[in-house]
Amino acid sequence: MFDQYMVRKDSLENVTEGGRTTGFRMGVRIADYRGCFLPLHNGYYLEVDGVFYPREQQKFAINGKAPRSFAEISKAVWEHWDFDAEGMLYVEKEGGLAPGEHVVRIQQSVLASYGYMPMQEEWVKNPPVPGGGAGSGKTHVVCEYHLMLKEEN
Amino acid sequence: MAIKRGVSLYSYQQEQFFGRMTWKDMFREVKEDLHCDGIEIIDEATIHGYPFLSEQFVFDWHNELARYGLKAVTMDVYLDPMQFRDHVMNHDEAAERLKNDIVIASRLGFSNVRCLCLVPIDVIEKALPTAEKYNVRIGKEIHMPFPINAGHRRTSYDGPGSIPVNVNMCTEIMELADRTGSKHVGLVPDMGIFQDRPSQVRIDYELRHAKNPESIYFIIDNRTKMDPNELYAKYRERYAPDILDPMTLNSLAMTDSCADPEELREVVPYIVSIHGKFYNMTEIEGEPGHYEDKAIDYRRPFEVLKEEGYEGYIDSEFEGQRDQQDRGEEYLVDEVEQVRRHHEMMTRLIGK
Repeated sequence: MFDQYMVRKDSLENVTEGGRTTGFRMGVRIADYRGCFLPLHNGYYLEVDGVFYPREQQKFAINGKAPRSFAEISKAVWEHWDFDAEGMLYVEKEGGLAPGEHVVRIQQSVLASYGYMPMQEEWVKNPPVPGGGAGSGKTHVVCEYHLMLKEEN
Repeated sequence: MAIKRGVSLYSYQQEQFFGRMTWKDMFREVKEDLHCDGIEIIDEATIHGYPFLSEQFVFDWHNELARYGLKAVTMDVYLDPMQFRDHVMNHDEAAERLKNDIVIASRLGFSNVRCLCLVPIDVIEKALPTAEKYNVRIGKEIHMPFPINAGHRRTSYDGPGSIPVNVNMCTEIMELADRTGSKHVGLVPDMGIFQDRPSQVRIDYELRHAKNPESIYFIIDNRTKMDPNELYAKYRERYAPDILDPMTLNSLAMTDSCADPEELREVVPYIVSIHGKFYNMTEIEGEPGHYEDKAIDYRRPFEVLKEEGYEGYIDSEFEGQRDQQDRGEEYLVDEVEQVRRHHEMMTRLIGK
């Protein structure tokens, strides 16, 4: 669902902290028809220009809070990601991305379900690693975007 | 009295996603164009701040219902047993979520909550006193591939990776209602149980994404020739590792509906409301201005419902948009038009 619309196309930009470029970020929506309890959001399979960025290098900003790792997100059990709300996916990359167009391949992992399923006990111990389709919510394919990096102000 | 028409705002999920329609715009469309009054929502799509309600939202909601003379029919509620991440919810915890959803539904004036096929019956029973107290009926959805009748032939792959189907679900709900004497538990049939072939929009999506499109044609061409489990085994043998998960396969392989319209007769007294599922309304050849979904039989189920005197709501539930969101904006489907076509069909089938 929303394969070509989950990532906002004009949102890719570098992140600068204390004068140093430490990574990049992009605006994302939940690729579903409903929001979810926030801890169900389990990160992204993410590839930019052929380089893989594992979940450990990702943070997610939502609900007016500073970016949090997905380990922290998994503990926010009474927060909700509303269907209408855009979150910001932060990715660590020293020096950020080069100016110009980038090819982003992405799959969102949301562990929402319709009730009890056999794999859930296993997922408590070993959450699925995004990318293989398991835990990918409503979009089982890896979606590809061609995004222009926003110019710095 | 006759069958009443309504709309699940789920139908306009894409308009909401792009910020082109708010729930208030949807209310206006339901009243002023579709000329009906039933409203159904997905709690986690419409209620900002779910699972908590703000006083302002409650007032605003009732005010808009009053403005257009609409009725809050059914609120669709969910169960995510992974919410706490450090354990799978037990059934008491699952019942607490359902009870909270019932209270929310009551405050918003809904008559019913729809709960899902995979919610265990004992979870519903635990929440039943709350449903009684707040006068909200719990309707368990009958959604493909769940049958109405346990004896119905198997119509989808049911091996590893598939949804665990309790074929006795409907019987167990009717027994619960009879045993407790409660009017607050029943069923929500989804018209998708009368789907007997894959929708064209579903096929087209998978063709665009398959590494080997031949594998999709293999499913389509053989779906009527093999048992679903045999089909999945042969498909896997030929095309692994680039294969679809079992649930996606089932959406392409269907060859027979998981219920017969006649089987509706025994559940009509327990029906809380109905989901008018559809994927793709197209004009009927030779009948300008008349529409149908080629994949789902509506005609015979409507006949049965009318004969049995069903007078509740059927709420449109458009689901074809998700298979058309993988390309440019020019390919996005017009949800408003699709729902209008669905109401043309429903109005015609309800008749006088």
